Amino acid sequence: MASDPRRAASAVNRFGLGARPGDFPQVADPADWLLAQTQRPPAGGEQFDGLPDSLDYLKLESKVVLERRALRRQGAMAPAPAPAAGGKPVNPLARIYIKTFGADLRREAVARWQVAATTDTPFSERLVRFWSNHFAVSIDKGPARLYAAPMEREAIRPHVNGRFIDMLLAVEAHPAMLRYLDQAQSVGPDSMLARRVDRRLAARANGKPARTLGLNENLAREIMELHTLGVNGGYTQADVTEFARALTGWSMPFPVQIARGIDDDRSFVFREAAHEPGTRTVLGRRYPQDGIQQARAILADLALRPATARHLAAELAQHFIADRPPPALVERMAQAYLDGDGALPAMYAALVHSSEAWSGDAVKFRTPQDFVVAGLRAGGIVIGAKPQPWESFLQRLGQPTFMPRSPAGFTDVASDWIAPDALWKRLQVAEAMAERVPRAGLDPRALARAVLGPGLNAETDRALARAEAPQQAVAILFASPEFQWRV
Amino acid sequence: MSSRREFLSLLGASAAGATALTLWPGVTRAATGADSRFLVLMLRGGLDGVHAVPPWGDPAYARARGPMALTPAAPAADGAPAALKLDGTFALHPALAGAAELYARGEFMPLIAAAPPYWGRSHFDAQDCVENGTAVPHGAQTGWLNRAVAALPGADGLAVATVMPLMLRGPAAVASWSPPLPLQVNPILLQRLEPLYGEDPRLTAAFAQAIANQGADQAIDRDMRGGGMRGGGMAAPAQGRLPGLMKAAGTFMAQEHGPRIGFVEDYGWDTHANEAPILARKLKELDDAFAAFRAAAAPVWPRTVLIAVTEFGRTAAINGTNGTDHGTGAAMFLAGGALRGGRVGGQWPGMGPGELYQGRDIHATTDIRAVFKGVLAAHLGLTESALASRVFPGSATLAPAEGLLRAA
Repeated sequence: MASDPRRAASAVNRFGLGARPGDFPQVADPADWLLAQTQRPPAGGEQFDGLPDSLDYLKLESKVVLERRALRRQGAMAPAPAPAAGGKPVNPLARIYIKTFGADLRREAVARWQVAATTDTPFSERLVRFWSNHFAVSIDKGPARLYAAPMEREAIRPHVNGRFIDMLLAVEAHPAMLRYLDQAQSVGPDSMLARRVDRRLAARANGKPARTLGLNENLAREIMELHTLGVNGGYTQADVTEFARALTGWSMPFPVQIARGIDDDRSFVFREAAHEPGTRTVLGRRYPQDGIQQARAILADLALRPATARHLAAELAQHFIADRPPPALVERMAQAYLDGDGALPAMYAALVHSSEAWSGDAVKFRTPQDFVVAGLRAGGIVIGAKPQPWESFLQRLGQPTFMPRSPAGFTDVASDWIAPDALWKRLQVAEAMAERVPRAGLDPRALARAVLGPGLNAETDRALARAEAPQQAVAILFASPEFQWRV
Repeated sequence: MSSRREFLSLLGASAAGATALTLWPGVTRAATGADSRFLVLMLRGGLDGVHAVPPWGDPAYARARGPMALTPAAPAADGAPAALKLDGTFALHPALAGAAELYARGEFMPLIAAAPPYWGRSHFDAQDCVENGTAVPHGAQTGWLNRAVAALPGADGLAVATVMPLMLRGPAAVASWSPPLPLQVNPILLQRLEPLYGEDPRLTAAFAQAIANQGADQAIDRDMRGGGMRGGGMAAPAQGRLPGLMKAAGTFMAQEHGPRIGFVEDYGWDTHANEAPILARKLKELDDAFAAFRAAAAPVWPRTVLIAVTEFGRTAAINGTNGTDHGTGAAMFLAGGALRGGRVGGQWPGMGPGELYQGRDIHATTDIRAVFKGVLAAHLGLTESALASRVFPGSATLAPAEGLLRAA
C-alpha cells in the first residue's frame, strides 16, 4: 500500500534530517520506517573510524600541558615572535594548541557533517543530535573543548536507541561533562584529600584559614535540573548538595599521572581520596553505598523518576511535534518510558504511534543546524575536506556547533529563531549553499517536489520555474518559507 | 605555490573565511608567444541590453520604453543623470561611467543584438546553450571554454565559482576559487521571495523587517516603487560581490604562471519588475567589476580580452510592472587592452514594430559563438579547424568575427 505522501514527508522531514531526492518512495509505512531505525545503533558510525578517542586526546593534551609548564618555567614563552605584517599577535599557547589538535578537530567536524548529509537512518541521527543537545556542553569552555565531539560519539551515539540510564552514566563520567560543569575539581570537604591539604596549608598559613579545595555542585544541579528531573522536578537545594557530595571523586587523571603511567588507560577516574565519606540522602532516599557506587545508584534512581520521564517526554515531544506539545501525548510517552524500564525506543514508539505525531498541527521551525543539514541533503552537496564553510554558516546563523550559550543547549522553539536578522542571514546562506549544489543534471523543480513533496506551494513552484538560473532556483527553494519548516 | 598564497592573502581569503581553493597543476608553461589572457563573465538572468546600451537614436526606442527611456541629453530637472553618448544611435547607461572611459580609450566595446543559436526563452536552456557551445541546449556535456583550454597546450583555466560551471566542465583540468560568503542577497531573489513569504503569516513580518533593516539599498528600491519611475535610476554606491570576484580573477590571471583562461559568473539580471533601480545598481556593480578586474590584472591588461555575455535579451517594450520579459537579441560587452574597441559592435536590427522578432524581441543579428571564435582565433591562436570541430562543434559555416583585436 502506498503511504500517505504527507505522512511520508513528515517522517523524512520532521522526524528525519530532511529529504534527499528519492527518499520519499523509501517510506512505505512512516511509523515502521522510523521505528526500524531505533532497533539498532545509528548508521554511519564508520565515518568516525580512525579519529582519536577521549583518552588519545587526554594523553596528547597532557603532553602539551607539561611541555607548556616546562617552557613557562624556563621563561621561554615571554617574548612572542613578531606577528606577520598586519596580523594579530599569535598567542604561542594557542599556536601549540592549533598545531597539535587543529587537524583532528577538523576531521571530527567533517565526519559529523558527512554523517548528517548522507545517513540512511536520519531519525536515529536526529536523535543523536537531540540527546547531544540535551546533554549540552560548550567548547567555549576551553578545558572541555577537545571532548565535545568525542562525547557525542562515545557517550550519546551508542545509547540513543538503548536505555537512558546507560547514556546518563556515560555522559556524566565523560571528560567533556566533567570539565564543562566543573566536576573534575569537586572535592568532598571531609574527604581524605581535603583534610590532607588543609593540614598542609594550615601549617604554611600560620593559623589563618586557607582552604582551596571544596565542593562544586554545578554538575549535580544541572543533572537534576537539565538532564533528569527538570527544573520543577521536586528537588531542593539540600538534594543538590547531597548529590554533589555523592559525586565527589568523579574526575579525570591529571597530566602528571598520565606522564607517569598512572591511570593512563582511561579518561575517567574515581578518586577515592576526594570522595566525601558517609551516607547521602537524596529525594528522601538513603544511599549508603561506598565510593563510585553511591552516585551511580542515585543516577539510576533519577533516571526512572516520573519527573524525569515527563521531562524527557516533554522535550522529545517539543522537538518532534510542536513548540507546545499536547500534554496528553507527553503523559503517554512518559508512561511508556516508565513501563519500558527506561528504554528509549519505548518512548519513541509511543511518540510515533500517536495520532498527534501525524496531525496537521504538528510542525516545527528548522533551527539553523536543521536548515543547513536539510540543504546539504536536498542539494546532494559534497562536504569536502574542510568543515569551515558549514561551520561558518552556523556561526553566522547563530547556532555554532557545540557552542550553546548555556548548559540548557540550543532552543528548538520557532519564536527563538524567527527574527528579521536571522531570516536575512538564512537568505544569504541559502544563496551560498545553492552555489555549492552540483550542477550536472540539476532540475530544481523536480528537486523541490522530491524534497518537499506535498508541502511545495504552487507559488514557490512558479517562482522556481521562473528563476533566472538553476542555481538561483535552488536558492529560492532553500530560502522559501516551506523549506524553513519541518512539517 | 607561495605566490598564490600571497595572492590569497591579498584577497583577504584567510583560513577563517569560507574559502575553498583548488590549485591548478603547477605546470610551467612554455612561453607561447603572446602570453594572452581571456576572461568570460557570464551574466545570468538575461541582461536587458536595450536599457544598458540605450539606442536613443532609434525613433522606436522612446515609444517602447516610455518612462524608462534614457537619453544623452542634459540631466533631467530632478537630477536623474543623462545617458553616456557613444554615437548617433547608442549610449551607455549612466551607471557605466567607467566603461565609457574605457570606450574613449578604445578598450571597451558593446556588441548589440547578439544571441546564442537557441532562441527559445528558457533561462536554463539558453544558458546551457551559451555554455555548451553547440547549436542547441544539452548539445554537449562539456563546456566550450574548457575545450578551448584543452586545445591550448600548457594553458590553465580558472573558474571563480563554488561549483564548476558547465562552460568550464570537461576534459581539461581547471581550477576553481570560491569566494567568501556573499554579504548581500541578490535583489531578484528577494523580489521572488516576497510573495512567497506573503503567503506564510508566521514569517511575513520578519521577512519584511529583514529587508527593511538589512538591505539598505533594497529599501531604496522599494521606496522608489511608490514614487514613480524615473529613467536614469539613482547613482548607487559601490557594492555587490561581483567587483570582488573580478578582482580575484584579475589577481590570479595577472600572475606569471597564472591561468590564461578565466570565468566569472553573476546573477540577478532577470528584471521582470521594477527594472530601472535594480539595473542602476547592477550596472554600477558591473562597472565597478570591470574596473576591479582591470586594476588587479594591470600587468597583463594590454594582453587581455574579456567578454561579458548573457543568455538572452529582453522584450523591446516594458511590461505592466515596469520591467521586461524574456527576449532574444542581447548586448555583450567586450573589454581589454588587446581589444580594438571604442565602437559599437554588431548590427542593429531596429526596434520598430515591423523589426522585432516575433513582434516583441530585439532580433539577433550576431551568433555569440562567432564573437567567441573571433577572439579565440586572433587572441589565443586557436586554429579554425580546432574551433569548428572541438570547441564549437558543428560551427564550420559560422565564420569567426573579424577585426576584434588591435593590430599587434
